[in-house]
Amino acid sequence: MVGKKRVAVIGAGMTLFRRNLKETGKELAWHASKMALDQAGLELNDMQSVVMGTAPDAFDGVHMKGEYLADGAGAWRKPYSRVFVGGGTGVFAIDAGWWHVASGQFDTCLVVAEEKMSSCYPHPAYAFTTIFDPIYSRPLGVTLIWIFALEMHRYMHRHGIKKEEIALVSVKNKRNALDHPCAQLGANITVEDVLNSEIMCWPVQRLDISPTSDGAAALVLASEDVAKKLTDNPVWIDGTGWCIDTTFWTNRDLYYPRYVQCAAQMAYKMAGIKNPPKEIDVAEVYDPFDYKELHHMEGLMLARKGQAPKLTADGVTQRDGDLPINPSGGLLGVGNPIAAAGLMKCCEIFWQLRGEAGKRQVKGDPRTGLAQAWGDLMQYGSVVIMRS
Amino acid sequence: MATEKITDIRHMLHWPGHMETDYIYTQGIAGEKFFSEIKENEKIYGGRCNHCGQVFVPPRLYCERCFRKIAEWRNLGSKGVVYTFTVVYIDIDGAKLDEPIMYALITFDGAEGGLIHRLGEIKPHEVQIGMPVEAVFRPQAERTGSINDIRYFKPQS
Ligand SMILES: [Zn+2]
Repeated sequence: MVGKKRVAVIGAGMTLFRRNLKETGKELAWHASKMALDQAGLELNDMQSVVMGTAPDAFDGVHMKGEYLADGAGAWRKPYSRVFVGGGTGVFAIDAGWWHVASGQFDTCLVVAEEKMSSCYPHPAYAFTTIFDPIYSRPLGVTLIWIFALEMHRYMHRHGIKKEEIALVSVKNKRNALDHPCAQLGANITVEDVLNSEIMCWPVQRLDISPTSDGAAALVLASEDVAKKLTDNPVWIDGTGWCIDTTFWTNRDLYYPRYVQCAAQMAYKMAGIKNPPKEIDVAEVYDPFDYKELHHMEGLMLARKGQAPKLTADGVTQRDGDLPINPSGGLLGVGNPIAAAGLMKCCEIFWQLRGEAGKRQVKGDPRTGLAQAWGDLMQYGSVVIMRS
Repeated sequence: MATEKITDIRHMLHWPGHMETDYIYTQGIAGEKFFSEIKENEKIYGGRCNHCGQVFVPPRLYCERCFRKIAEWRNLGSKGVVYTFTVVYIDIDGAKLDEPIMYALITFDGAEGGLIHRLGEIKPHEVQIGMPVEAVFRPQAERTGSINDIRYFKPQS
């Protein structure tokens, strides 16, 4: 173990994910936090520290969003910090919560993630236009989707991957989401539906993409001493990792997410994992676009480079397969309130390892799970490994 | 909590807000070199780190790996290769464009990285990854020292 103390997750909560929720961002954060505390059997007074993960200020439209959301995250008169690494924020938030407790500074930490993208009207696509380099990229009118399209195309070209192989991810995740009570876009669709959906920026089509969403998620972390007093069923955080690649988008290996590999190696080393596909029982892999699930499986070394489409076609990544990927339904199915979507993945792994995932429960008795997110300007990897 | 499927948030009680801020971004030390060479000489420059030997385009003031100052500029000409591309069919509001726009990442021989830019004088179905292209510059009088001083990249003649 790297840390001084072993850290457990003892409670999880999340709101519905929807395109437009009536609740304010604070109210969403409070719903998720209260649910996580209730599951842990704790009160806010029991929380010694709070970590809030939330992505660009421009979504909620409050230009100091960490402060604005603090009360909903239970931060009143507590050591509090906001963490923000773009789309990687949700999983980085649990990594940050882990070091709060592992360091020995706190026995408990409430980790909360929130996004209310609907405030950005008429569409949060406008907020995304200002995340890019102001000198080299923005004068060209860059949008988020065409940047992804460039990456997706390079990935397909490098390995000779077809659109229909990638579409299987969208089909799988939207179907998985039918069993998630909070899901926004659970559906039974076919590969043909994806291939016939509107072409946005070739090769990206409408059904290759996750939606924009409002939502929040939360976890309660505790030191080993505290966790063992409160539950017979703690889930341990055994690996954490995070890494950023060059800020120059144009200087990355677009076909392979090296930053995810670095983050995964850090987490695997800490958890003592030598053979990830054999040792990981269930994984929540960041899937804002269908190709990203495949891309990230390869970066996580759960599949060899260019081999993730084959595992998907063979059914290995289905909920009843040998390596279930995104049993929750992922961002494509459950929804994508950026930071909250990453923490939703951590909630899912927690529920899977406790055997509490209901209709989404993967087969066997999963003992080791992984959640991963990806963010900033498409170059940030964050990973957590949990064991029951 | 609210579970109804609301399609327009304006149907809830709300306050319509606005975050208005304008900015002026300086191009920096390396940026001024890069854009001056485009504006004056129709040349794309990279910067070479004398410690690791890597040539970066766009150029930088410092090597992010060695963390040393980059003082050597490299003329990369105006010709490159399509590393990847997309064909954009919709605008930011999701409305269909009259004509699709092609964007590519262009890489340059002997340098790491590249430029994102438009492609022109070619149809979407004709573009291929690996295709040699060259920059088409605006007339000198119209250049302002920005990335748009390059109108687009076209197939090499
Ligand atoms: Zn160097």
